[in-house]
Amino acid sequence: MQSDTLFQLSGPLAMLGWLALAASPLAPRLTQLAASLVIPVILSLGYTALILANWSGAEGGFSSLPDVMLLFTNPAVALAGWLHYLAFDLFVGAWEVRTARSASIPHLLVLPCLALTFLFGPIGLLAFLGLRLVHGRFATQTTKGAA
Amino acid sequence: MTDMAFAPLSRSTRKPGLFDAEPLFAATGLLIGLSLAPTLAAMALDHRQFLGENVWLKPIKFQIALTLYLLTLAYFARWLPTGMTARRSYRLYSGVVIFAIVAELAWVSGAAMYGVASHFNVTTPVMQGIYGLMGLFAVLLTSATLVHGIAIWRNPRTGLAPALHLSIALALVLTFILTLMVAGTMASLPGHLVGTPLTGATVPIIGWSREVGDMRAPHFFATHMMHALPVAGLLAVALLPQRLASLAVWAFAILLTAFITASFAGALAGLPLIPQF
Repeated sequence: MQSDTLFQLSGPLAMLGWLALAASPLAPRLTQLAASLVIPVILSLGYTALILANWSGAEGGFSSLPDVMLLFTNPAVALAGWLHYLAFDLFVGAWEVRTARSASIPHLLVLPCLALTFLFGPIGLLAFLGLRLVHGRFATQTTKGAA
Repeated sequence: MTDMAFAPLSRSTRKPGLFDAEPLFAATGLLIGLSLAPTLAAMALDHRQFLGENVWLKPIKFQIALTLYLLTLAYFARWLPTGMTARRSYRLYSGVVIFAIVAELAWVSGAAMYGVASHFNVTTPVMQGIYGLMGLFAVLLTSATLVHGIAIWRNPRTGLAPALHLSIALALVLTFILTLMVAGTMASLPGHLVGTPLTGATVPIIGWSREVGDMRAPHFFATHMMHALPVAGLLAVALLPQRLASLAVWAFAILLTAFITASFAGALAGLPLIPQF
């Protein structure tokens, strides 16, 4: 299979996971199964196969920025890197939804964090961590006030 | 922690499962089987060849073989003497066997990844050293059949029909002896072929040469003794009266050993198992 074909398949697959996460209150368990297990496993298998097949033929490495940039000039390794993003971002997105659910954070507040995680992984994670921090404080204060 | 995780279950009321008697072998076998998913995918993506075959074919063969090997041993392990797998000395031994298996697989897969020879590679002193070490590991991992075979042989309370009991124990012991004979000889040769192929004709899938002697054929038969003889034992118990059944198992064992020895001698003489017509 060509790298282009794999790239074109991986996008919709990850998208499916993100759409499921967005709609997760409808079917929380099924969503978790898809977004934190099935789809990341498929993407990770693709990553593993690409690395096994192409690592030895690629130039560059992890030791300096020019080395890393050189590494990503290899299309197959760049695709592997892309699958790495897709798999881990989705996994983090699923974790956010799971954590929000157990902390009773409204899904509507999680949605912007999911959008950010989808587009700019770490920014979305920071946003969600911030949300969780703040939401926890409010909840504690309200409980104290009520008691 | 490990003690708890791998402690054999002693509930005798339940039907014994694959994970009960030798959980370490069963778990490792299962994981090696699952690791076929990335290597099969790698074979689909990778077009590099080694000795005329896809570089990933060899690790895949090793993964299939070692999965089958470990799951077979884990299955037979229910007839080991009670408490044997819980002993500290046994646990140390089985840990070493698993280490040897994982090291062997890592080496073969790593060599495939870098497109170099994993066996018969004596190009540098380092490679020569690794090849020697892999030979030692191969003997270690095969020795599990001997250890299990003797222990099952000496266990009077397997609850098996005598002929079936004999077939399993004898199969394991013979697997060790014959595999060691064939693989040990193969390792001392410059490669798995005896002779120089001209057309490169091979048996489909398995890849044995159809022109010259191929030591992988007797190795295959020797190692599958552990499956062939117990199946024969099962048939003998089902079809024959008790005394004849054990006799039939012995006869079949001798026949199989003769066949393996003949295919071994043939390969050494440079003859293909399945010639071209």
